[in-house]
Amino acid sequence: MSAPALDRAPGRRRLWHIDGARTLRSLRGGMIIAVFAVTFGLLIMLFGEPYQVRLAVAAYVNLIIVIGLQIFMGNSNVANLSHSGFVGVGAYITAIFAAPAMIKQTLIPNAPWGIDEVQLGVVAAFIVAVGITGLVALLTGLVLVRLSGIAATILTLAILVIFHGIFVNWVDLFRGTQAFYGIPKVAGIKTMLVATAVVIVIARLFKDSRIGVQLRASATNMLAAEAMGVNIRALRLIAWVLGGMVCGVAGSLYAYYIGTVNARAFFFHAAFLTLSMHILGGMRSVTGAVIGVALISVTMELVRLAESGPVILGVQMPELLGLSGLMLGVIIVLVMCLRPDGLMGGLELDEVIRRYVKRGRN
Amino acid sequence: MLEVDSISVNYGPVRAVHSVSLTVEEGEIVALLGPNGAGKTSLLSAIIGLVPVAEGTISFQGQNINRLDTESRVERGLSVTPEGRHIFANLTVEENLILGAASRRDKDGIARDLETYLDMFPILRERYTQSGGSLSGGEQQMLAVVRSLMSGPKLLMLDEPSLGLAPRIVDQIFKLISGLRDRGLTILVVEQNAQEALKFADRAYILSTGNLEFSGTAEELRTSADLMKAYIGEGVA
Repeated sequence: MSAPALDRAPGRRRLWHIDGARTLRSLRGGMIIAVFAVTFGLLIMLFGEPYQVRLAVAAYVNLIIVIGLQIFMGNSNVANLSHSGFVGVGAYITAIFAAPAMIKQTLIPNAPWGIDEVQLGVVAAFIVAVGITGLVALLTGLVLVRLSGIAATILTLAILVIFHGIFVNWVDLFRGTQAFYGIPKVAGIKTMLVATAVVIVIARLFKDSRIGVQLRASATNMLAAEAMGVNIRALRLIAWVLGGMVCGVAGSLYAYYIGTVNARAFFFHAAFLTLSMHILGGMRSVTGAVIGVALISVTMELVRLAESGPVILGVQMPELLGLSGLMLGVIIVLVMCLRPDGLMGGLELDEVIRRYVKRGRN
Repeated sequence: MLEVDSISVNYGPVRAVHSVSLTVEEGEIVALLGPNGAGKTSLLSAIIGLVPVAEGTISFQGQNINRLDTESRVERGLSVTPEGRHIFANLTVEENLILGAASRRDKDGIARDLETYLDMFPILRERYTQSGGSLSGGEQQMLAVVRSLMSGPKLLMLDEPSLGLAPRIVDQIFKLISGLRDRGLTILVVEQNAQEALKFADRAYILSTGNLEFSGTAEELRTSADLMKAYIGEGVA
């Protein structure tokens, strides 16, 4: 070994000390959030009624979507409304590749490129679905990152509408407004819990990475970040694609759980629901995503009970149809007015714990 | 090292900088002085590539950098500490420093520099995991300077480093700046606080309403009461 190599050795050790310590801290933080998020699901899985398990699965699918939303929106501070569209891409591509060829010949006999005769394994179809969602995100992202502020947000809205238009009108491939069924139902609550834990850790690592730091800086002050040599467009594109792929994961798992896919599930209602979860919890925080999803999922279930006119203390309550939609709107308005940063602000669970521990010591 | 040759900068129809030329040689501290609205910040922004140049050329280390974007200029060794510091309040001290190295790829070098600067400024190590917004004004300015240093610059440009700081802190900051020169850094400092800047600078330029009004050694300027009065303001000389 020559002298310079020896010279560099201590530097490398120090690098691990600094960068490695930071990554480790981030990883540990992500795992704490993941454990926190998954615990509820485990309890329901072990002790819950079947309908509670069903609700939990839906909540975890939404959580994965909100994490996907957080990766882009939380770090770059550009509002995104198109995420449901990416969930749809993931779900439909899974349906197209995983449904048995026999069923597809009745469902989509005129599919282009003879796709109705192709049938992939469950895992392969999942990978293809997430990959294609990433590719679609890359293509849309190339346009998106040229815009900023309101223009960017309006573009994401347009993307949602375009995706929906394609799902509904490309009947040969997506069956239009009719359901696409026959997808093997291989995902259960266990799959959801594992996937949730993984994407939470990914989102946290991303947030604390150099890319995440630079993105968050550009979100607070674009010009100052630029003066520091931050390439905002490139970083936003990375976050956009990663976030899109996580939404694709959610879509694919959703398809594998429910077995049928319908374009209605990937439009305004779903986008608005997950967005309000994201806003309530706090966009800048991964923990916030978990809390937002948990709170709104529970609230929505209670509201649904109220909608059907339950009997409380022997008194028949009136039916309140449409209350759930109203509630979502009210939640968003209240959060925006009272706590625009969401419940968690930018804080993570492990940071909150550390604060309490510190305060306890003093 | 840096040659600015008769550049003009426009903001829409308004011309902020009129055909200004200046040079900075390696190892110098050069002060760019002048009142509010003289075009000092515009000139710095043009040099770092945040605003386009209408006329003229900017060369760095003998190469024309007019067409490079900010990121590439930072990569080549230009760095600016913006006016008002622009500490990212949401990010921790650590993250602010990581951000400074945004344009660098050499992870070993980044880690080594980080250690060096944390040794030089122990207060930053103390505040390492606190948010940038929780620091005092002087600490923030220190963080802002070190953040610029993290890009591994050859030429550091400081925009109003004394702004809003107590005199004692201003003194510290300028000592820090001349300390950096002793470590081989070249520095271009924009200041309204001429008196303080001239204590440390080798040469100075005065801008006024977008025009270059004076260039010469700091010594000349310090001793010329008329010049000081005319362009820097009363009660200085």
